[in-house]
Amino acid sequence: MVRVRAVLKAVWRAVRRGQGSFASIGTNNFFLFTALLFQRDGGFLYLIIALLMLFPLSADPLRKIPRERLVLWPLDRREWWILRVLSPWLNPIMWVLAALTIWAVRHSVTWQLLGAVAGLFALGFVLSDVGGGAWDGLARRVPGRGLIKKNLRQMLSTLDFWCALVLSIATTIYRFFDRTAPPEAFLLMALLVMLALSSYAQCLFGLDGEGGLTRYRLLPLRGWRILLAKDAAFLIVAVVLTVGFHPLAGLAAALIVLAVGHDPSVKHMRPQVRWRFSTGAPLGNGVVQVFAMSIAANGVARTSVLLLIPCFAIYGISLWWFGRRMELE
Amino acid sequence: MIACRDLTCKYGDFVAVDRLNLDVPAGAICAFLGPNGAGKSTTVKMLTGLVAPTSGSATVAGLDVVRDALEIKRRIGVLPENLGLFDDLTVEEHLDLTGSVYGLSRAETRSRSGQLLRVMHLEHGRQTFASRCSHGMRKKTSLAMALLTNPQVLFLDEPLEAIDPVTAKTITDLLVAIAKRGVTVFLTSHILAAVEQFATRIVLIRKGVVAWNSSVEEVPGSLEALYFDLVEAPATEDLTWLGSARS
Repeated sequence: MVRVRAVLKAVWRAVRRGQGSFASIGTNNFFLFTALLFQRDGGFLYLIIALLMLFPLSADPLRKIPRERLVLWPLDRREWWILRVLSPWLNPIMWVLAALTIWAVRHSVTWQLLGAVAGLFALGFVLSDVGGGAWDGLARRVPGRGLIKKNLRQMLSTLDFWCALVLSIATTIYRFFDRTAPPEAFLLMALLVMLALSSYAQCLFGLDGEGGLTRYRLLPLRGWRILLAKDAAFLIVAVVLTVGFHPLAGLAAALIVLAVGHDPSVKHMRPQVRWRFSTGAPLGNGVVQVFAMSIAANGVARTSVLLLIPCFAIYGISLWWFGRRMELE
Repeated sequence: MIACRDLTCKYGDFVAVDRLNLDVPAGAICAFLGPNGAGKSTTVKMLTGLVAPTSGSATVAGLDVVRDALEIKRRIGVLPENLGLFDDLTVEEHLDLTGSVYGLSRAETRSRSGQLLRVMHLEHGRQTFASRCSHGMRKKTSLAMALLTNPQVLFLDEPLEAIDPVTAKTITDLLVAIAKRGVTVFLTSHILAAVEQFATRIVLIRKGVVAWNSSVEEVPGSLEALYFDLVEAPATEDLTWLGSARS
């Protein structure tokens, strides 16, 4: 039992440290501004956030220890079984499920809800063991070449993208099935999609790691070209996700979000963790981002498409300025 | 081809490299040797534009490392300490990216990549993402990227560590061959016996200061003996608990 206890202690420490990375949501624009603007009425949006976070939270705790190390430790068969049975309880979601079960018995929550949460948890638990191959398959199918392709793959490995995708799909379906919906609703949804992506624009280099950042410094490319490859991936995603309801407003918002996001992206290259919401910059940058993108998208949608020209100009100046800054870093 | 004059790098109060003076002619294979933390990687970083020197100057291919950093990057190939790979690209995609950034045609990139993948024994893993590669595979990928662009100067930070013996022999033979064609190779390593076989110039560095700088022919006796004498002698402490009664 001493060995099992030692392993469980190590796993618990690793799980606890890993869960610190979920704190990124606290500085994520989407979470902050939906909580601020919608408050109690934002139930649907909070549900999306919760469901998206459930998957990475459901990962098998034993995965925190490299498989090679785990099989090298001198554990007998009985100890293995104990470890297998006890380790899932190091995941807080197991305790949430246990609490839900008790409430279901007392009829405080429905068995259907319990079943849904348990099902999603089980899926996340199993996928954490076999999911690597599935992700590789999806990543290989990402179109494009070189840096843009890499940057698209990075975007796809954040919860920000999947949150924006859920909103985009729901809005597109709504648009095609309800012809009476007001156009203002689609403008708002385009802004919401961009809000979901906006924190990623504040940490464009977060998933490149030390190796990637070294390679960037070694490539004979000007700073603005490296930044442009990042932005191109972001703009592609932004336009594709809003194409079904308001692509021009989406484009205007994306340009402004990037123009403002270059500052924290270049000055403070915060490392990010995959399958989490992006850690945003301090609130001030987020406020400017959201305020400016709302003006830009509203202007393009309600006044004139020509307002895209100043959006491009602002974006161009930011690209040049922060590209230069990258070379000096 | 490489010239350093009083090249110095400080991190706060810590002097990583102290007034380094060095000349490496074209076609030389210069082995830059020293213990961990001696200043080898910092020197490579300064010469490749990754770190700005605190004082002094250096030129690579006749270009100033600070003023002409971008032009130098076009002419050199680098195997950096942390390999400089993107987790989200496969082995083959890294080579494609290098080819397009350095202006090689797609056909030329494909042709050179195919040869490099064969030489490095990387063909079976060409579609593997860097994040899923073994350390050896990652190192070979980074080395292939350094060679792909046919550079004038090669900077290789520990190129032979974690590489299988067959590929290591292939790499050393390749380095000797390209050096004969005028390519300058500047490498760091801990494998003294291997380096002694193919390097033409030996530089030993200790605590940021050059302790020895000569052609390989001028090294008295074995390189290992010189290294232990000038740089660092091996620890002699006996761990008596190892091999004693089990505890």
